[in-house]
Amino acid sequence: MSNSKSKISLWRRLVSNQMFIPILALVLLAVINLIVDPGFFKVTLGLNNAGNPVLSGYLITILDYGSELAILAIGMTLVTAATGGQDISVGATIAIAGSAMLHVLCGGVSRPDHIATPIWVAFLVACLVGMLCGAFNGVLVAIFKIQPMIATLILFTAGRSIAAWINNNELPIVPDPKFGYYGGFIPGIPIPTTVFIVAICIVVIALILKFTNLGLYTQAVGINEKSSRLNGINPTAMKILTFVILGLCVAVAALIKVSRLSTINYSVIAKDIEMDAILAVALGGNSLSGGKFNMWASILGAYVIQFLTTTLYKFDVQSDALAAYKAVVVILLVVFSAPKVRETLSAGTKKIFTRKEAA
Amino acid sequence: MKKANRVKKVIGVLLLQLALLAGCGSSTLSVSETDSLEAETAEEGQGIVVGFSQLGAESDWRSANTASMLDAFTQDKGYTLIYKNGQQKQSNQITAIRTFIQQDVDYILLAPATESGWESVLQEAKEAKIPVILVDRRVEVVDDSLYTCWIGSDFELEAKKMAAWLKAYTEVNRIQPEEIHVVNIQGTIGSTAQIGRSRGLRNAALENGWDLMEEISGDFTETKGREVMAALLKRFDNINVVYCENDNEAMGAIDALESAGKKVGSNLAAGEVMVVSFDGVNEEAKELARTGKISCIAECNPLHGPRVEAIVTQLQAGQRPDKYNYVDEKLYSAYLPIQSIEVDGQTYEIVRP
Amino acid sequence: MKKEKQSIFMKASDTNLLLAITIVIFFLMYLGAILFIKGGFTKPQMFFNILNANASLIITACGMSLVMITGGIDISVGGVVALVSMCCAVHLDYKGGSIFGSVLIAIGIGVAYGLVQGFLVAYLEIQPFIVSLAGMFFARGMTTIVNTAPFNVANEEFNALKNARIYVPGMGTVNKKGIYVPAYVEIGVIVAILIVILMFVLLRWCKLGRNFYAVGGNAQSALMLGINVKRTKFLSHLICSTLAGIGGYVYFLHVGSGAASHAMGMEMNAIASSIIGGTMLTGGVGNIIGTLFGVLSLSTIQNIVASAGLDQAWWTGITIAAMLCLFLVIQSIVMAQKKRALK
Repeated sequence: MSNSKSKISLWRRLVSNQMFIPILALVLLAVINLIVDPGFFKVTLGLNNAGNPVLSGYLITILDYGSELAILAIGMTLVTAATGGQDISVGATIAIAGSAMLHVLCGGVSRPDHIATPIWVAFLVACLVGMLCGAFNGVLVAIFKIQPMIATLILFTAGRSIAAWINNNELPIVPDPKFGYYGGFIPGIPIPTTVFIVAICIVVIALILKFTNLGLYTQAVGINEKSSRLNGINPTAMKILTFVILGLCVAVAALIKVSRLSTINYSVIAKDIEMDAILAVALGGNSLSGGKFNMWASILGAYVIQFLTTTLYKFDVQSDALAAYKAVVVILLVVFSAPKVRETLSAGTKKIFTRKEAA
Repeated sequence: MKKANRVKKVIGVLLLQLALLAGCGSSTLSVSETDSLEAETAEEGQGIVVGFSQLGAESDWRSANTASMLDAFTQDKGYTLIYKNGQQKQSNQITAIRTFIQQDVDYILLAPATESGWESVLQEAKEAKIPVILVDRRVEVVDDSLYTCWIGSDFELEAKKMAAWLKAYTEVNRIQPEEIHVVNIQGTIGSTAQIGRSRGLRNAALENGWDLMEEISGDFTETKGREVMAALLKRFDNINVVYCENDNEAMGAIDALESAGKKVGSNLAAGEVMVVSFDGVNEEAKELARTGKISCIAECNPLHGPRVEAIVTQLQAGQRPDKYNYVDEKLYSAYLPIQSIEVDGQTYEIVRP
Repeated sequence: MKKEKQSIFMKASDTNLLLAITIVIFFLMYLGAILFIKGGFTKPQMFFNILNANASLIITACGMSLVMITGGIDISVGGVVALVSMCCAVHLDYKGGSIFGSVLIAIGIGVAYGLVQGFLVAYLEIQPFIVSLAGMFFARGMTTIVNTAPFNVANEEFNALKNARIYVPGMGTVNKKGIYVPAYVEIGVIVAILIVILMFVLLRWCKLGRNFYAVGGNAQSALMLGINVKRTKFLSHLICSTLAGIGGYVYFLHVGSGAASHAMGMEMNAIASSIIGGTMLTGGVGNIIGTLFGVLSLSTIQNIVASAGLDQAWWTGITIAAMLCLFLVIQSIVMAQKKRALK
């Protein structure tokens, strides 16, 4: 009897842990791939066309292409926690920030011979643009009290158009091969640069969460705005701040995205990434209606999604049809994480265990 | 009193918003003023009003095509060109043509997005006695009197020329036909260019016994071309010819090939992968052809403007132009051993890019 | 003077106030277009063309308004429209495909979507945005799975229906070649007008219609009043998706083809139309007539932008967003002021 009780508590603790769902999904995906094709996990060290050593393999692809998503998940988690809503304009703002970056880099010329400004200046401009977009969303949400998803709908609708407008619908190409390092490989280092960028972002956000009250305050605002105000927190400022931080994440993601191609495609760049970013937050077991959050679960969630995408691609799913499969996963996920369903489920498991006990 | 103040504020804000709207309006007006002037002069019979419904701006070819039209129908020559970008959607183009009819234009130029589904709107134009000149792609209609004439490229001929070049290449290098493992990165499915170029390759592969491994759409864009090529490389390890249905796709494909560590070029015996493509408009693609990374480009001439203008002049003079007008097109290649090719009894010289 | 203004302002209900703003702006805009842009705006057919091209948007926007009045949102409508047109196109392409069958498919897809989304939102209490976001992706993905390539329908019966015109007597104009160009509307416009009337009656005079407002205004007190909140929410999604199915068929009837890229961004236009028409995102406020004017305003401004020569692809997106932003801010300010004034 004591045995079954400890079983219950262990099971409970496992299930109630926020990391449970993403880890379970990760294990599930890994097992499926292991059964279908063990070669999935093979990582090889080869030479790319420039003659530099690079690691390649599906796992590296996941780490590499999951980076933008992981970075966005950081900002999205904060916005979700503070406002109880999500930003659906991240894909479009990536296009804006990327377009601005290219405009500055190429000096308004579509085929320049050399870059017009240093890369770091262009990146700073992108950060500024990203934060501005974030602030715009934040002001609409915090001051005008418009629901986050609707407020961000504005930039979602206009973002790609604005991005095309910035460069007059031209597609400038960055001539400097160094610019390609951020989304590719630095010569001599076989690990994708994006992995380092994500690592830096994670360390920075970890330090911020540890040494400032950002985490505590956003959760307080998300749980109860009024009582947080009574406790001396300014909810308006906090909400805008989370959107600005997301804007910064967007700028970093834009750097990676644009660097991968050394150019931009306004209608396609970071398409549907908002869906993946929101999904990452949900997959991490965070409540989409705000309040408590777990940053690490979100980041893990981002990589799980990339794992899923890569797996689907491997099974020859067309990139256009991908959305349908992902949608099914999302629905299953939100259904299982819905409080209503969870209650029913936990009641059900309880019943099963008690019945066993009785037997 | 306080209440009244607030209400005043609200009204003020509302007025401000209206002013904003008006501001938007006035900024558009400055542009439209010239338009309305043009329309007026046109009404007085001093100019020919031409409505041009372009399907979009998806590729360099398309941009060159639009620019050529804008250059051909200028104010100095007595034309007013109303240009509408259909943004790749047939429904936008149908709306544009209906607007042209209401705007009382003299001629309608249409570069259709798809081949079918044009009967009703062309019928409306015909009933309003506005001649329609088709550019680039064709339309499928039972009654071909719905449009006056068509100007464009013979896409299947382009593909035949390309196939003839590839055949000449295998003969020069003594490569067995079954050793040609070709993949086709197709254009937007359903476009005339895609249909003609895919059909040409399919027939040639059957005739010559080439191994056509896969046909998959790259949507005429560089991004999609890169993506599709990367996916193909993961599935097949023996691809040696990549047939891209436009230059943008070829640029993407070359990028993907090189990232995967393949060498791109015309020396198949040394394990290089050959890329061939169509259009030859983009300078960058021509540069790639000069360096041999694109082994051969079949030109697709986008400069339709002068030809269309000539037809409009003919129509103005009451003459009947030919129903189908083909533009001349070349074959570019930096591969020296092949000097010329022959298709359907006609010889084509190879031009150095 | 001031007092009078204030009293009018205070007396008007939220719905009517926002509706009035929309209608006034629409007429000002159209007048401006007639006066300053000689793009044929004086001709009645220009207006009918707007109706013809936007009949499906009017229908889907009606559904959207209903969901928004109930306090929810549905961003899957554009996807449903695309899915419906693709499925109908494929159905009509087979031998034995009939118009009746394709209408059944359209409504069937709509109802199925409504049942699933309504259940998830109302009974499992999942956020409508997430549910319909997944719904949108599912529909878009399914459309490409059904058929990747866009294609036009060759079915003759269907094309006869598609090309059917209802001529409006006395509205035609004579062009400079001396030919009378008649004015007409397509069948879809008639369907759209019928649906607007139906929805107006439902929301205005039916008990069920008032329930939607009550649930959107305050679910808690609606529950106290004995309204079945869950069922009402469920019904709102069911009606919205069904209308999306019908709107999808009207769209299909207008374009006569199926393609994965059809109705891209239509959900955003529907939401924008509803908002411009005075439907509040917070629920409880809205009007179908406003939505109709919302659609008209939106398409008129697009037409003006295009006629003014600013027809690069980006202008459409930017103008819609700017209008959306403007109206959202107006709403937010008006409501905040009223709330404060009431205190």
